[in-house]
Amino acid sequence: MNDEAPLPRWTHVVFFTSLFATIAMVFVVLYRDAQRPVELEQRLVAALGVVDRCEACHDAADHPGDTLGLHAVERFGCTVCHGGQGAATTADAAHLASPSWERPLFTAAEREAACGTCHEAATLAGAPALSRGRAVLAERGCVGCHEIPGIKLPEIAPDLDGLQDKVSPAWVRAWLADPGALNVDHRMPQFTMPDEEIDPIVAFLFSLEGPALTPAAEAGAPDPARGRKFVATRRCATCHRIEGRGGGFAPDLSLAGSKLSPAWMFSLLTDTHRLRPHTRMPGFRLSPEEAADIVAYAAEQWVPDTAETPWTAFSPEVKRDLTAVGRFEFIEHGCPGCHRAGDLPRAPAAMPLDDLGRRRVVDLPLADGAAMPDLPSWIATKVRVPTAFDLPGATPSLMPAYRGLSPDDALAVGIALASLKRSPLPGDYVIQSTPAQTPPAGPAGALVDRYRCLECHELGGQGGHIAGVPLDGEGSRVQRGWLLRFLQDPVTIRMDQSARMPVMGISESDADLLTDWILSSLADPRITEGEALGDATRGAAAYTARACGSCHMSRGAGTMKGPVLDGAGARLDPDYVVTLLRDGPAVVPGERHPAERLPGGEARDIATWIAGL
Amino acid sequence: MRAFFQRIRDSVFRVGWPADERKALLAMRSSFLLHLHAPKVRPASLRLAATWGLGLLSLFLYGSLVLTGVYLMFYYIPHPDAAWRSMGDLEFVVPYGVVTRNLHRWGAHAMVAIVLLHLGRVYLTGGYKAPREANWVAGVGLAVLTLGLSFTGYLLPWDQLAFWAVTVGSKMVASVPVIGDAAALLLLGDQTVGEAALLRFYVLHCVVLPVALTGIVAFHLYRVRKDGGLVTSEHAPEPTEGPRLWPAWPHLIYRELALLAGMVALLLAASMLFNAPLEPLADPTRTPNPAKAPWYFLGIQELAHYSAFWGGVFIPAAAIGALIVLPYLDRRTAGLGRYWPPERRWANSVFLFFAAFFMVVTVVGTFFRGPAWALMWWPP
Repeated sequence: MNDEAPLPRWTHVVFFTSLFATIAMVFVVLYRDAQRPVELEQRLVAALGVVDRCEACHDAADHPGDTLGLHAVERFGCTVCHGGQGAATTADAAHLASPSWERPLFTAAEREAACGTCHEAATLAGAPALSRGRAVLAERGCVGCHEIPGIKLPEIAPDLDGLQDKVSPAWVRAWLADPGALNVDHRMPQFTMPDEEIDPIVAFLFSLEGPALTPAAEAGAPDPARGRKFVATRRCATCHRIEGRGGGFAPDLSLAGSKLSPAWMFSLLTDTHRLRPHTRMPGFRLSPEEAADIVAYAAEQWVPDTAETPWTAFSPEVKRDLTAVGRFEFIEHGCPGCHRAGDLPRAPAAMPLDDLGRRRVVDLPLADGAAMPDLPSWIATKVRVPTAFDLPGATPSLMPAYRGLSPDDALAVGIALASLKRSPLPGDYVIQSTPAQTPPAGPAGALVDRYRCLECHELGGQGGHIAGVPLDGEGSRVQRGWLLRFLQDPVTIRMDQSARMPVMGISESDADLLTDWILSSLADPRITEGEALGDATRGAAAYTARACGSCHMSRGAGTMKGPVLDGAGARLDPDYVVTLLRDGPAVVPGERHPAERLPGGEARDIATWIAGL
Repeated sequence: MRAFFQRIRDSVFRVGWPADERKALLAMRSSFLLHLHAPKVRPASLRLAATWGLGLLSLFLYGSLVLTGVYLMFYYIPHPDAAWRSMGDLEFVVPYGVVTRNLHRWGAHAMVAIVLLHLGRVYLTGGYKAPREANWVAGVGLAVLTLGLSFTGYLLPWDQLAFWAVTVGSKMVASVPVIGDAAALLLLGDQTVGEAALLRFYVLHCVVLPVALTGIVAFHLYRVRKDGGLVTSEHAPEPTEGPRLWPAWPHLIYRELALLAGMVALLLAASMLFNAPLEPLADPTRTPNPAKAPWYFLGIQELAHYSAFWGGVFIPAAAIGALIVLPYLDRRTAGLGRYWPPERRWANSVFLFFAAFFMVVTVVGTFFRGPAWALMWWPP
């Protein structure tokens, strides 16, 4: 080569150093890649767009519980319920968050929320917090302000028309300022309202005309002592808290005397549904005298109102201006979401929550220095302290505070809301809620509405849960004569239940019509008709041998955990007793009878013995 | 048998191993790859400081990007439903997927940087002047194509980073007066970045721009030789001793091989140490704050923050226009081939001022701009 110009040293140094370094690095790359498993278990669910490689390490056969029996891994994969990055092939990438994958494996709360994305029904066995959350969303009136798919606003807030006949302005002011001071069980949340917003709202509310009140009874002097007795015999305490006992479903009546005007109370008791067409309270049949006595009893509890009433200081002009402002504030705070008032439409005022489950916590505001929560926990905090995530300098959140909401309920709400996704899930993955049953029509339907039967009783998956046993199938369980008498004078069958059917004073003709409707329309096809009779003596022996008396009371022996059986011969349809004993309690949803199934002959013997009680 | 292989070798390599100078010259003339070089070069060309190897490194990087790019194309699906998942496949199942993507990503960033440095080197040494005007213009075109390739490639992972950087970039295009909206529509095929934009960017990135770049590179290299080689060696003083010209083999070729080997080693090391960024799947409803363009456009984005038209359109367009017309206006030939000659102090100062200005605004835009493009310290 050219000796006069040798190659500079750096050429060789750079070239060979780089060459060896490159070769070494290529070997490292090859070695690293060889560490990758050659075979991967991969689960492709095309319908959901899911590619899950979890089974490369986890065996679906080891899945605890029987969840996979209903949710075949072939159809759902893993990440739909568990989260994580299904396509990942390393434990860290599959389980943890990373810059490219923000959501690590679901927490327990997120897993339960995932159930709710497909299961739209209000209650879902196996997802208690989700079900509870959906119930709370309805009970607490969240749907008044937020659009939440699948949840209907129950009649929890009174109509406000005619408020001037019912309460005093001072009471409304005090209520708006702090409902908890007037009723510890208050359902209306605590709004943050200064006095200059409360006064116009009160002015607006007192401008609303309501139905005319019923004229007061003329006969006799009302007797508070009689009134107190009526309140007890009518079982008002089933729904209302009275003298510190009972209640839970309707307002506390302890302070009703100092809150409600006697004239309004009298009208409500005698003509409930004309005054309050949407109330959940049944239309009791009370005589004017009885109603007057009850009002007198309530008025006896009246506590003099010490709060000053600035209302009278307002001149008509001021009141008129205030009314316009109040109407605006009333709408601004979303009150029409729950309350009917004048001509205001019931429109949700706050942001719809139908896609909340898709929000990522990383995009949501966080308290300074707080660890990143999962979405249900974030929502729970927001629900308990609505201003927790207000940005500095921004308008404070208008959301009212739900005081008394337990942490568990708040988390349940978070789970229910985190399940909401406006997602293009394939239709056959979505388990829709049972289509709403049409309420019974015709004259019987009018009575069911009048006595508000479905506020307490469940029927066709709808209705309340206050009564222990659904009405479905009741027509096959009881005898006509007993039912007719029971409706007019409801005796207590199940001593262990705290909710007892109110004595509404159902008239004989009404009871007759309802009995016919129950027997003809609410039969249970699973209860076989015309079972042969057995032997009562053998039945008595079997009753003793089976220790039925450890729950039932009969002929003065036994306990009251279950229904009393004395008189059951006139009450129960023997065919039902046979079916219950032979086929198990599954024939009655909510029935807590032991699951043990008796042989047919023994069941017939016991039924025959009971028929003679 | 040996003669058989000998015949095959002779048919490909006309000249055997260049053991002496005559054979070396023959090899340089007869080999396709080597004939791009002159058979003999001026010793001044061999100094590292003559070019810092920047043009050659650009070419090597381009070659490596083509190779890794083809491998990535085997696994990439240019559709919004699948593009981001392709990144996951590269990460989790494709053999050497991660390192290939890293090589491509870091190689692309390096190529943008080195192409721009190459442009600066040629400017400072007056390499744009006659007879190299046309090649300078071709070089400016190559720099623009390089930026275009990088920008179109930026969208393909279809993650948040890609989506919003390209959204910002297309907004800049749309702010051009008169033709801006039409140009943005032509680029995106839609009003927003979406399925059409992804396919267009893919075709541009993998077909249109590489073909154009390859063609212009061929012209560029051809003209380097036809215009007299390096401006830095052309105007260097003749050596007082030794030969006037040295054979390219081995003096030039070995240096180039060393550069190639060094570049490959550095790139591979970087690709093994640092993973290419990947953010969550693109979500048009989730705007990052701030949304930032790729780093090489952040200077322009920073300027556009002050004035969309003047900063985002006029200054960049004027800069490119000035670079193109420059050789036809500046016709003085004094001081060529040196980095800081007294005759070119004024010209080089202006250039360095603008380069520094762009660097400062780029650094500010990259590191010191937080949410709502507000100034912030880094780290915050």
